[in-house]
Amino acid sequence: MNAPQEQAISASALVHAKGLTVRYGAKRAVDDVSFTIPKGRVVGLLGHNGAGKTTLMKALVGLANAEGELRVLGKHPKRDRVALLQSACYIPDVAILPRWARVDDLITLMSGLHPSFSAERAKGLLKRTSVGLRDRVKVLSKGMVVQAHLALVAAIDARLMILDEPTLGLDVLSRKSFYEMLIDEWCDGERSVLISTHQVEEIETLLSDVLMLNEGKLVLSISLEDMDRRFVALSHDASVADEMAAAHPLLRYRGGAGRDSRTSVFDGTPPDNVLSLGQRVRPSLVDLFVALTRKPELDRQHF
Amino acid sequence: MQTWDDRQPIYQQLAALLAEQLIDGDPPEGDAMPSVRALAGQYLLNPLTVSRALQALGEDGLLENRRGMGLYVKPGARDRLKQAERRRFLEAEWPRLRERLRRLGIGSEQLNWEAR
Repeated sequence: MNAPQEQAISASALVHAKGLTVRYGAKRAVDDVSFTIPKGRVVGLLGHNGAGKTTLMKALVGLANAEGELRVLGKHPKRDRVALLQSACYIPDVAILPRWARVDDLITLMSGLHPSFSAERAKGLLKRTSVGLRDRVKVLSKGMVVQAHLALVAAIDARLMILDEPTLGLDVLSRKSFYEMLIDEWCDGERSVLISTHQVEEIETLLSDVLMLNEGKLVLSISLEDMDRRFVALSHDASVADEMAAAHPLLRYRGGAGRDSRTSVFDGTPPDNVLSLGQRVRPSLVDLFVALTRKPELDRQHF
Repeated sequence: MQTWDDRQPIYQQLAALLAEQLIDGDPPEGDAMPSVRALAGQYLLNPLTVSRALQALGEDGLLENRRGMGLYVKPGARDRLKQAERRRFLEAEWPRLRERLRRLGIGSEQLNWEAR
């Protein structure tokens, strides 16, 4: 890519971060992170607890002191925070609304608080849920609170939505309605969403890009389309495990296409003699996450 | 929720699923395909993945882009798909099936061709 092209892309990007670092005392919670988020993307922010996800999100909306270059919607998050929040939303927890309030009170409140909030749109979105306008928050289930909260947020005409663990503690039905709302309301080709979650398998198909953090460092920043091309997963028989291991895969685990099969994941295409020993399969995001962050607390069984 | 397997990229799996529906006449030839957003919402997929699947179907000559109106099912698409499916069956599936029938000693007269 030539320089003017690169400049044009970073100028139109909703988020542009270069060498971003956030320190808490001596610890670098976010360590020299560079990435851009263009418009129309759904970006998954993955990392174990303490990897720096929340700190990075806070930096994007000016709630953490960051070093390095950072532009969000063309603005400096710390300096232009008020202006930024006209068109960016940060939701640290979608399951919290004041318990005493009625849903229509919240709509009135939001109309007064946020200039780009549309009460009509919020009501329209709420009609699709089981939440009533006259319901008090305290009578709603957790899933319904999330739906109400998301309807309120989606009714803000924002170009960037930053959601920290929106599906935490939700049952499967509530998560599904959340994903539907995400696709229906936010994927219009203009808005972008940055979303952190541990529900990697469920959210993989909704994402266009992934950012992976490990101990503050960005270990992967890639579109899902490029991920399919760059990483090669081979399902193979246990009997050729040694040959596979010799080709230095990123990760190996039990399971795959057959009964006694294994899977090896490679960064880049392994040599033909190795390729021919297995059957190419789709590398899943969970596998890559495990491989690149090396903490075997996910549900795959490892060697 | 639709489940996707680990064998192929998801856009290819969606393209295969949509192709199966086209064989069944859904939507019929000459009709518009559902929009990217509608499909994305239905299958809970990122719209970019849906676009790639539709593009693949377009490259296979099954869909046509009518300017300003979106994607339509091309006349003759069902035939093309059926032909491709038949070829795949005869070339890939049938030899395996024939081998299995031989091994089990099952002749064509023992197979019930009438049951639905």
